[in-house]
Amino acid sequence: MPTHFIGRRLATAGLAATALNVVARPGFAQAKLPTLSIVINNSPWFDGFKSVVDQYEKETGNKVELDVNPFGGSLEKQRSSVRSAKGQYDILIMNSSWFAEMYFGGFCEAITDVDPSFKLDPGIYTCDDTCFFDPASKTMTAQGKLYSMPVNPNIPLLYYRGDLYKQRGLTVPKTFDELLANAKALHKPPQIYGIAQRGARGVAAVSYDFYPYLYGFGGGLFRDQKAGDYTVLLGNDKGHAAMDYYMKLFREAGHPKAASFDQAEVLQAVATGKAAHAIAVIAAWPQVDDPSKSAVVDKMELAPPPSLPGLPTGPALGHWLAGISKNVPDDHKRAAVAFFRWFQTADAQIFYTRAGGVPVHKAALEHPMGQERKYRWMKPMAEALPHAINPFRFPESPEVVAILELGLNRVIAGETMAAAGIDTMTDQILKLMTEKGYRTGRG
Amino acid sequence: MAQAQADRAFRYATLTPAALFLVALGVLPVLNLVAMSFYTIVWKNAAADWQKAGLANYAAIPGDPLFSAGLWNTVVFALASVVIQMILAFFLAYWCSRVRMGRTLYRTVLILPLLVPGIVVGAIWKLFLNPEFGFLGQMLGVVGLDPIDWLGEAQTALFAVVMVDVWHWTPFCFLLLLAGIEGLPRDVYEAASIDGARPWQELLWITLPMMLPTILVTAVFRFVVAFKVFDEVYLLTGGGPGTATQVISYTIYQRFFTEDRAGFGSAISVSVIFLVCLMLVLALAARGRLQGRPA
Repeated sequence: MPTHFIGRRLATAGLAATALNVVARPGFAQAKLPTLSIVINNSPWFDGFKSVVDQYEKETGNKVELDVNPFGGSLEKQRSSVRSAKGQYDILIMNSSWFAEMYFGGFCEAITDVDPSFKLDPGIYTCDDTCFFDPASKTMTAQGKLYSMPVNPNIPLLYYRGDLYKQRGLTVPKTFDELLANAKALHKPPQIYGIAQRGARGVAAVSYDFYPYLYGFGGGLFRDQKAGDYTVLLGNDKGHAAMDYYMKLFREAGHPKAASFDQAEVLQAVATGKAAHAIAVIAAWPQVDDPSKSAVVDKMELAPPPSLPGLPTGPALGHWLAGISKNVPDDHKRAAVAFFRWFQTADAQIFYTRAGGVPVHKAALEHPMGQERKYRWMKPMAEALPHAINPFRFPESPEVVAILELGLNRVIAGETMAAAGIDTMTDQILKLMTEKGYRTGRG
Repeated sequence: MAQAQADRAFRYATLTPAALFLVALGVLPVLNLVAMSFYTIVWKNAAADWQKAGLANYAAIPGDPLFSAGLWNTVVFALASVVIQMILAFFLAYWCSRVRMGRTLYRTVLILPLLVPGIVVGAIWKLFLNPEFGFLGQMLGVVGLDPIDWLGEAQTALFAVVMVDVWHWTPFCFLLLLAGIEGLPRDVYEAASIDGARPWQELLWITLPMMLPTILVTAVFRFVVAFKVFDEVYLLTGGGPGTATQVISYTIYQRFFTEDRAGFGSAISVSVIFLVCLMLVLALAARGRLQGRPA
């Protein structure tokens, strides 16, 4: 009899363990999961993400619907969805310029609140810990809850014409002086311009182009956001020096239409062989090396953005995080977690990389495929990523970005002088941060 | 008497639901907008927190660089585009009313741009004006001129947007003016013809004076619509370079939606509604004067 009792207990425990094991297995096909709805932007890396989603559907049998929008349109749809009683989207693909708004507004559900057993794979790059959030202290550190899954650690890299460098015997620029010298050496308008800068005003256009210069000069927007110190640094000597250099580069070796160049125009100039350099997001790389879209296939090379001698490179994170909407049914939230569980595996990340995505897993970033010519972006990416800076950690960041977009674009368009432009932007940001109650000042 | 009262009651009873429906659809959103303009709206715990701002949003309007640039450019844009459209449309309508052969064909061709969706207008003209591979740039190259970046240069961008608007909206003015011209009494022209009036005299002393009310209404209508221009700027220039093509609707879009400043965006919206209403009142008063009676 006791044997029989033990046998029943063992059998029950065994069944439970098996069930738990099966549920916890990555890629487990949960037949009853509802169709997952994801709102996403149509950026250059979208094709890679679409492929990985297709692969997820194929492997698991789960269904995913993608709502694809322009950059700004995606934000508007996300706002509209999270602010209604019942959300339209289960997963929000949030850019670095607006994820804080979603965290602080209480629109995202912590992944670990949906499924306490969920663990972020230790190989996942946490994008300056911005995937964590503590709603009580309003901070983003690893001590907070896991609020999102990184999907693309997008940073800008220096694109340069490797073939022309070889012809001229130029060396890869590590400093701003070297970049200027090389850009001037290759500047032969109207056949080719030394550099194409993204100077147009947009949701996050010219400001994002300017950050690597600002950080590379040792400057910044705020002193220490993690510590709650929002002293505005933009107007200090380093900020002015960065602006002066950016304009010098524009005047002496830049594409003259920079004031109306957004990302598409910069990439067009690069892909048509009209630009010898550009600082552009790594996510755009597949277009540059695609024979159906580019005239410079196999001619472009990549390097970390230059900086002042002795200072590290300073790319700004323009990364993407996937958050779960709070106002969707629980089974949809669980479906989102199931997707994340699959997405963060090394296999999925390697597939994602091969499909044209930018991986967030160390296993993919350090994979031997990085030695292949096609994946020559991985080495400079791995070099630059540890130095990447997240520009904003507060929900009013779109207002600061708007100030920068207008101010920088006016400088490039010649409506205002560089020094006056920087000072005006600094004053406006200072006023805004004061009004919003942040600890601020002029640094 | 009793029958008249019953009729009146019936009229009220049947019209009231429609009137209430109209109020709900038309007036309440505006009232909501006005209310919102006195608040700052922030989101906490997935709920909107309306914080009283008094007149602060209105007080901040004059200091907003995008508002001042937007207002100035909008006025310039609306005036330039409407004046050009009215002149072109009037002569096209006058000419079309006089031709005998192929009139339907001309009319159909002339109104075609009006049927093109705004997004397609943006795509057509963005390609057409592209300095690298656009048709216009290539034509300039054929005659030995350098291509001009019409939309990328601060000096030409607003002019280019005006031209696109003229292409898109002249047919609208043309249609209204053509209907007006064709509705003019023929006996006046017959009398003038008997008196030996020449075509230009008919145009100057008969057609133009009699068409003046129609011209004014069309111009006012077009001005109000031109004042709200958004899609052409959004698609062609994004308000740039700098603030060269920033218009007021685009400012509202940026402040309200991109930056999510609902209170401030509402205050600008209310101010613009007030301005448009003011223009309408002035235009109607002018029309009344032209017709010799109070508006």
